[in-house]
Amino acid sequence: MISYVIRRLLLAVPTLIIVALMVFFLVRLIPGDPAQIMLGEGADPSAVAALHAELGLDKPVYVQFATWLRHVVSGDLGTSITTGEPVSTLLITRAETTGVVVLISVGLATLIAIAAGTVAAWRRGGKLDLAVMSGASLILAVPSFWLGLLLLLVFGVWLHWLPVVGYIPFSEDPWSAMLFLILPIATLTISESGVLIRMMRSSAIDVLRLDYVTHARAKGLAERTVLSRHVFPNAFAPTLTLVGLTLGRLFGGIAVIETVFTLPGLGRLMVTGVLSRDYPVVQGCLLFTAVIYVVVNLVVDLLYPLFDPRVTVE
Amino acid sequence: MRKTIAGLILIAAGVGLGLALVHPKAPPTGSMLRARLNADIASSDPGMKRDANTDAVLLHVVEGLVALREDGSVGPMLASGWTVSPDGRTYRFALRRGIRFHNGAPLSSADVKWSLDRYLAPDSHWRCKSDLSAKGIAAVTVINTPDPDTVDIVLDRPAPLFLATLARLDCGGTGITHRASVGPDGTWLYPIGTGPFRWGEWRHNQYVDLVKYDGYRPLPGGTDGNAGGKHALVERVRFSVIPDGSAASAALLRGSLDVLDALAPNELGTIAGAPGIMQDSAMSADFYGILLQTGAPVLRDVRLRRALSLSLDVAALTRVVTHGTGVPDSSPIPAANAFYGAAERVLVKRDLATARALVKASGYRGEPIELMTSHSPPEMYDAAILVQAMARDAGINIQIVSLDWATQFARYSSGDYQATMFGFSARMDASQMFGVLIGDRATDPRKVWNSPQAIDLLHQSVVTGDRAQRQQIFDQLDAHFRSEVPAIVLYNTRRVTALRTPVTGYRSWSAQTQRLWNVGLGNSR
Repeated sequence: MISYVIRRLLLAVPTLIIVALMVFFLVRLIPGDPAQIMLGEGADPSAVAALHAELGLDKPVYVQFATWLRHVVSGDLGTSITTGEPVSTLLITRAETTGVVVLISVGLATLIAIAAGTVAAWRRGGKLDLAVMSGASLILAVPSFWLGLLLLLVFGVWLHWLPVVGYIPFSEDPWSAMLFLILPIATLTISESGVLIRMMRSSAIDVLRLDYVTHARAKGLAERTVLSRHVFPNAFAPTLTLVGLTLGRLFGGIAVIETVFTLPGLGRLMVTGVLSRDYPVVQGCLLFTAVIYVVVNLVVDLLYPLFDPRVTVE
Repeated sequence: MRKTIAGLILIAAGVGLGLALVHPKAPPTGSMLRARLNADIASSDPGMKRDANTDAVLLHVVEGLVALREDGSVGPMLASGWTVSPDGRTYRFALRRGIRFHNGAPLSSADVKWSLDRYLAPDSHWRCKSDLSAKGIAAVTVINTPDPDTVDIVLDRPAPLFLATLARLDCGGTGITHRASVGPDGTWLYPIGTGPFRWGEWRHNQYVDLVKYDGYRPLPGGTDGNAGGKHALVERVRFSVIPDGSAASAALLRGSLDVLDALAPNELGTIAGAPGIMQDSAMSADFYGILLQTGAPVLRDVRLRRALSLSLDVAALTRVVTHGTGVPDSSPIPAANAFYGAAERVLVKRDLATARALVKASGYRGEPIELMTSHSPPEMYDAAILVQAMARDAGINIQIVSLDWATQFARYSSGDYQATMFGFSARMDASQMFGVLIGDRATDPRKVWNSPQAIDLLHQSVVTGDRAQRQQIFDQLDAHFRSEVPAIVLYNTRRVTALRTPVTGYRSWSAQTQRLWNVGLGNSR
């Protein structure tokens, strides 16, 4: 098991180097000059050139890449061009916000998907199935930013139950922080549950058709037992893969949710970085996302045997 | 089933009641005025790494020797007055007595010299360094401090716009800061100024807090641009970073914001008529329009540029794009500017017959003309769509290229476009407004108008102090602009600010910055 984990982590190294290489050069292919953006419209061209040189952007790209890679290997992701803060510090503070929202949301969405997807499969073709599938399709069709604004309007503006803007870090005041996070978490939970419900239902339908489920029923087991002991573990494995992919995707990509709810998370950091051509921040964010993908996929692979005995870690 | 529904309703009501009773951690003690920024500030160093948000926030903390008044003229701030030598090269400023920095240190001429030397240092990124250099309006040659209350600034040549340059918002008002604002190694820490608010806390991408400065010595009078009497009427000001316009509107309606400045035209409908919300607005000294590369193959012919201008119904376009808040304009001098006279007031009317005739005369055969635009602000994209449709009526084939702002800005800066939608933020002097267009394209590709006559007239406008003479120069420039059409001005915007009813004393102004001094909360939180 340990050797498998080490082997997987070692295999991730070339992946991350390729990601780093692609990220570095792709970011620089986008037109736009951070020095120009920082000094604003109307700035003197000589001032822009001076800042360009100060930021080291006048050096050949391969020299910039070598310098950056050397620093990354030593654990230094550089400093933000716009704020001057270390990128690693920015990533850690922003990851706290995004991490809390994503983990809770995906966790809740998974629970909803397991329950709704299994029940829909169990009552396939019935009213319950129709209701669950219609709900899931509706969720898939609704953009997350629109849903977020709707929840903001209802629970923030109309009912005055929840705050609409602002954020308090978890480390400062967990209860107040939670109040600010309820709406983003609800939005993301609903948005992500649609696809997970469909996947869970589809897998559960396949499993319900199998002989051992018929056999379990023939033995006289209660439906609840059949579903929980025989259907769920076997139907959940594909959904778990999707949960892993969803986690990886969301860690780097809830910029829309973060913008609507003014959360200082990773997604907003990356979008701001792209818009201001803050190369170190964009590189740091993308590299971080790649690492998260690798780790999440590894964790999912390690969890797989728990649900599907046919699969072994080796 | 009924029991289940009743149970769910009960749970929802309980949760709602609980949430309604529990409020997030209270803000720091005392009254707090909450305003919105659509993006984080670029730095806390006035006039260095900056944008309009940065200028607006920092001008609550720092003050310069002089400041812009409401009407665009220059008034005293840290200087009680000034004299100019007969040769127009030496400005002597007398400092106001009793002014103290936020750290308690008294203001002296040495502090002024330290700040100005820092702005003009070779490695400084101060926005206005080039304006106060040999290639700008005049170079600062010497700064003398004959006594602690007097500063002499000597220029290499007379410069009637010197004071106006010092007062410019994008120069950070040439704010005077205490030397403790920088660390021992010379790195910038935070601004220790003399303004009505002192620097509180900056949480990147979340908020900037400013705290009332109890030791502030206000000038007499009320709000007058960035000059005049300033009084901090609240204990704390919080500028919250809320990028999304809809979220900002929701925050205002919910009561999480007191001041929502620069309300987007498409958000007006949400706010208008909402209970507990009022509006304040002022015409902005900006302009939005189309910049044309007069050297580009198709647009080289002035007849085609005129045809494009005549094909546009500027009044209708402005009405649609700004939701009725903007003012159509054909002059680079905005309607809110003091030099917006009879000549500038004349609007270019749509004349399709003449436009078609000019198109024909120019030999244009429908070659596509690329019009670059972005969604920053969103109205720019809408305007591009309307320009495309209107130009088509005159037989001009516009193709829209929509880019993100940074890419559009990069292409604008390098002159890599045929035509581009573009907006220039408020500049209070008419020379500055023409200055964004006029210049030598060979050395500065951003400039679209490099006619020697225009360059000469712009130079005259900068070295002439007499108001009547300047008006004449601007009238000539305006006429010349309409004849050569290096750009097409479309409209000036109206800056609309939405306020919650407890807010008192807020005044919008043409310089497009929010001023939260002299602004109070009726029932102090």
